[in-house]
Amino acid sequence: MKITDACVYPYPVGNSSVRRLALEARQLGYDSIVAVDTPACEAEGVIVLSGLIIAGMPVKDVTNQIKRGKGHGVVVSVQARDNGFNRAVCGLKGVHILRDIACADKYAFDHVAAKIAADNGTALDLDLSPIISQRGHTREKVIHRYFDILVLHNRFEFPLTISSGARSVLDMRPVREVSGFCSLLGMNIQDTEDALAGVGKILAPKEMAVKVLS
Amino acid sequence: MSTRPPTLREKRRYLLAKIEPCGVPVDGKDLYYAIHEATTSLWGDVVVAAMQPVVIAIEDGYAILRCRRGTEREYAIALSTITVCRDTRIALRIIATSGTIDSLRDRIKDRGPYVMEGGEVTATETTDNSGSPSVETGDSNGNPSTDTRDCTFDTRVYQIVHCDGHKVDVIEKGFKNTHRLFLTTADLEEK
Repeated sequence: MKITDACVYPYPVGNSSVRRLALEARQLGYDSIVAVDTPACEAEGVIVLSGLIIAGMPVKDVTNQIKRGKGHGVVVSVQARDNGFNRAVCGLKGVHILRDIACADKYAFDHVAAKIAADNGTALDLDLSPIISQRGHTREKVIHRYFDILVLHNRFEFPLTISSGARSVLDMRPVREVSGFCSLLGMNIQDTEDALAGVGKILAPKEMAVKVLS
Repeated sequence: MSTRPPTLREKRRYLLAKIEPCGVPVDGKDLYYAIHEATTSLWGDVVVAAMQPVVIAIEDGYAILRCRRGTEREYAIALSTITVCRDTRIALRIIATSGTIDSLRDRIKDRGPYVMEGGEVTATETTDNSGSPSVETGDSNGNPSTDTRDCTFDTRVYQIVHCDGHKVDVIEKGFKNTHRLFLTTADLEEK
């Protein structure tokens, strides 16, 4: 999984079936997608990972939701809220991605949350849909927030993922154009490649810090 | 004003973009306004003035666009922020960049117009002559023909409006819901 779209919404939330999204993803240059509330499968030569988005819940309920999805290969994403919530969620085992950080308040993700995310291997999602569909002040705000996150990313090196948030095949963008959007945020090609491979990295089993050979 | 000699003219680049979803009628002027709005919003007036974005033609569901040489990357990024053209949801997929329009027209010929692979979709009924939306199809000469078929998906009856390889676009039958669904032949074969 080297090039993954970290969040798409297939039918019935969106207007495209998961197979059509997978077909489109293949043509646009992806090798895997995370489809929300869809069982994991392989469609049209693209790996479809099952995604779970937890939103609007206190930390206790988030923990319960994670327990339910544990062991099923589900990519668990939690919608960002205030700073305390984000710090707590980044430290939880089983949370893979913290998403919608652009919708959270200005100080929702600070250096402490970044350190916790880096230690725990929790990724931060850069959703490109506001950059694509929004205009003016709203888009400026999102780009500014992403700049801020990238400063913390360069310092603490927590993983990043990139998602289109596509509810339709029309919302998906080719990898080349995703790279173009990332260049707007100051990411170079290597950073973009790492972010596109972010889902694969966070799902891969962690290497042990010390290996006992005998 | 006399035309400048070729060496003094500014160099231009032409972009070929596919308009999706297939079969949506897009007017050149509307597309120009959408592009202008997207480029200005993303890059600002100064860059757009240097970019000089123009819509040259819309042919067979493809748009041929022009910009100044050296601004193709910025233009392509701006084009990918287009989501709507006069209240119609669209997406532009950039296929090629070239120095001549002719080479892009050759590309369109190579890719061919919308092709209907009629045998692949399992349709439940094939009779509808009541003026409802029709399937965009093409023969070997690229001339569009019409066909209407119904299919079932998720226990509802839909009308196929476009079919290209494994891709099938459908609209729910009736007058209430006229949104497109994007499916594949495998989705329609599933019971």
